[in-house]
Amino acid sequence: MENTSFGRRTLLTGSLAAAALVPLASCATGGGTSSGAGSSAAASSADNPFGMASSGTIDAVIFNGGYKTDYVDFAGTQLTKKFPGVTVKVSPSTQIAQELQPRFVGGNPPDIVDNSGAQQIGMSTIVDQLEDLTSVLNANNYEGKKIADSVFASAIKASGTFNGKLAAMNYAMTVYAYWYSASLFKANNWTPPKTWAEALDLGAKAKAAGKYLLLFGKEAATYYLTTLIASAIMEGGDDVRKNFENLKPDCYSQQSVVDSFKGLEAIIKAGYMKPGGSGTQFTAAQSQWSNAQEALLYPSGGWIENEMKSQTKADFQMTGINEFTVTSSPKMPASSLHAEAGEPFIVPSKGKNVAGGKEVLRAMLSKDAATNFASTRLALTVVKGAAPAESAMSTALKSQSDLLSKAGNNTFSWQFISYYGLNKENLVVMNSFLEGQMSADDARKGLQGIVNKAAADTSKPKLQVS
Amino acid sequence: MTAAAYGPPAPTPPTVVAPPRAVPNRARRWRRNLTFDKISLFVVFLGLPLALYVTFVVSPLIQAVSYSFTDWSGFSPNFKPVGLANYLKILSDDTFVKAMRNNTLLAVIVPLIIIVLSLALATMVTVGGASTGQIRGIRAAGFYRVISFFPYAVPAIITGIMWNLIFDPSSGLVNGVLTRMGFSNFKSFPWLGSVRTAMPTMMFVIVWGFVGFYMVLFIAAIKGIPAEIFEAARIDGAGRLRTAWSITIPLIRENVQTAYIYLGIMAIDAFVYAQALNPQGGPENSTLTMSQELLSTAFQKGQFGVACAMGVVMGLMTLLFAGIVFTINRVTGGKDRITLA
Repeated sequence: MENTSFGRRTLLTGSLAAAALVPLASCATGGGTSSGAGSSAAASSADNPFGMASSGTIDAVIFNGGYKTDYVDFAGTQLTKKFPGVTVKVSPSTQIAQELQPRFVGGNPPDIVDNSGAQQIGMSTIVDQLEDLTSVLNANNYEGKKIADSVFASAIKASGTFNGKLAAMNYAMTVYAYWYSASLFKANNWTPPKTWAEALDLGAKAKAAGKYLLLFGKEAATYYLTTLIASAIMEGGDDVRKNFENLKPDCYSQQSVVDSFKGLEAIIKAGYMKPGGSGTQFTAAQSQWSNAQEALLYPSGGWIENEMKSQTKADFQMTGINEFTVTSSPKMPASSLHAEAGEPFIVPSKGKNVAGGKEVLRAMLSKDAATNFASTRLALTVVKGAAPAESAMSTALKSQSDLLSKAGNNTFSWQFISYYGLNKENLVVMNSFLEGQMSADDARKGLQGIVNKAAADTSKPKLQVS
Repeated sequence: MTAAAYGPPAPTPPTVVAPPRAVPNRARRWRRNLTFDKISLFVVFLGLPLALYVTFVVSPLIQAVSYSFTDWSGFSPNFKPVGLANYLKILSDDTFVKAMRNNTLLAVIVPLIIIVLSLALATMVTVGGASTGQIRGIRAAGFYRVISFFPYAVPAIITGIMWNLIFDPSSGLVNGVLTRMGFSNFKSFPWLGSVRTAMPTMMFVIVWGFVGFYMVLFIAAIKGIPAEIFEAARIDGAGRLRTAWSITIPLIRENVQTAYIYLGIMAIDAFVYAQALNPQGGPENSTLTMSQELLSTAFQKGQFGVACAMGVVMGLMTLLFAGIVFTINRVTGGKDRITLA
């Protein structure tokens, strides 16, 4: 009844098919080749240890997160004071990976990058293209003291070394702890627990007061994995950590890990973990702790105070305590601390002004810039003795500072989760476990499966930790 | 769009009288009239869009396909070909297969619900009114039209964030209302955090966001049907359901097919909703979509080659979906086109 020539309808059909292909285009990018190579060439001296050219600009891309970016501007001003011909151009970014991916591919990366935030570039992908920053540690700071001696060098190395190369210089010092309201604990005569068993006891008291012991949010369920691993390492010693770092097929079956998981499981089973966390946005969950005080304790890094600032009850007196251990006599001293140098600054080898990138780090690791960071950001840096005055510190910052000085050299941290990018998969298991839908044994099995998958992936060089 | 439903609009050559509405001498006439006016029209309306399309759609597409056969990390200019390794890897990867399954589920269920609902609403506001007098919609039809179009005017990401808060276990509206009504086991119930409810909840949010738009689309199509046909059906004693099933749907069949395919494309992506409601993939990855997995593979794991392979799989699934819809439409009688001219 109708003639069938190439009509509008066929054209429409074709264009629909073409439209269907559009999602394909979502992951394409150009892949140019590059020249790279630095242009700076000045003799290095004690005053100019990296041989930075006496004039020019330094291109810095800084993650614009909780710490903002003006602390780098401050360091840039210090640098310009010392080298009047050089300026630092700071570009803030919240999408480090998306923004810098084409620049790394094109061979024109910035001179220095603060590779931080949710969209940070996985270190395993770019570690080959980064400078070894040991030379920065060996240089003198602007006060003429060797940098390695004036910073928490072991924490810097622990968090920034990838297969023997110090590829990242972490600037902020983060202390991991359980946080509570000192005023609330005082009013109820509660004492902060030290072991999982004590925590369980406190849970009963919390319940009697109509509160929960702990709570969690869906994007932050892995904060509990962090605290479980820390607990296991304190209990079982440094070998426990190494087995994780080397992705051993039985790393989640180590006795101290099993015991830590059991400790948390008992709390969940007893109903002391607030239900519904797996459906709650994490800052909403955190405000149930800091503002509504529906739970007593929350495990997190030291950023929690700043993060929840506007949603914390008046006179909360946020205070941190060491993460729980399995027994009261763990292998590592009970004051040992999961502390990590964070905010990783990297210097790409193909940047135009590599020496300039290192010089920015040198300025940041000098006393003036570090003190400026500590007193304006109310957070600690890896520079020793640059903490703000006691009176200017909040209770939370003070407890970070105290925990850190009590721990001395007994600080530890691990890299395997961020290095292999496992957090997203871990979240799935941890949400089910914390919600009480999965037993501790199944949770460990699930997490081990994620580790095994990473271990079997041959596309990536493995971290060797010994 | 409605024009397509009835075949090409009747051309108006004054002299042609051939029985099928064909235009035999069209090609010849065409060449004769190739004026500057026409050529410039083609350059602007065909050449330019085509150039843009080739630059921004076709060429990245080819690039993506070619990267999918390499081990490109995404952050260095170096890569080497790995053949089909990336495809084998993702198809044997539990997480990605799970995501594929989730998207398939979305593509099967979501378009069906949206189309049934929006067709029902469109029928009601156009022809579902009083059964005497002129064919018209129910009372206050205009008001309902505006109201149900509202959700579509809200950007998808806002829709996602809003419903995320409404479904919040402790302070959300849903649980608040349910517990107030006496259903005490909904206290702190994690709608988006429980394996059984996370996916249906996400589907609900998507349906909420799209029903209004497709309703308006179908209203336009139904308005294109002459009222006499409905009147005739009514005189013959057809009820509202019978009219909808035997008159409305056959006459707007092609619109339904188009809507189905657009919705399928959306469901196989579904990125914004999934990311807003459950950025980590939901409980046991029950709401994880391929697009979410693609993003984290590319930018967090630094495996652009693998991510491109995922993109190709998504594209192929979409094509397959379109193919299935076309076939079903044809098999169920879509080829017997009904024309109204």
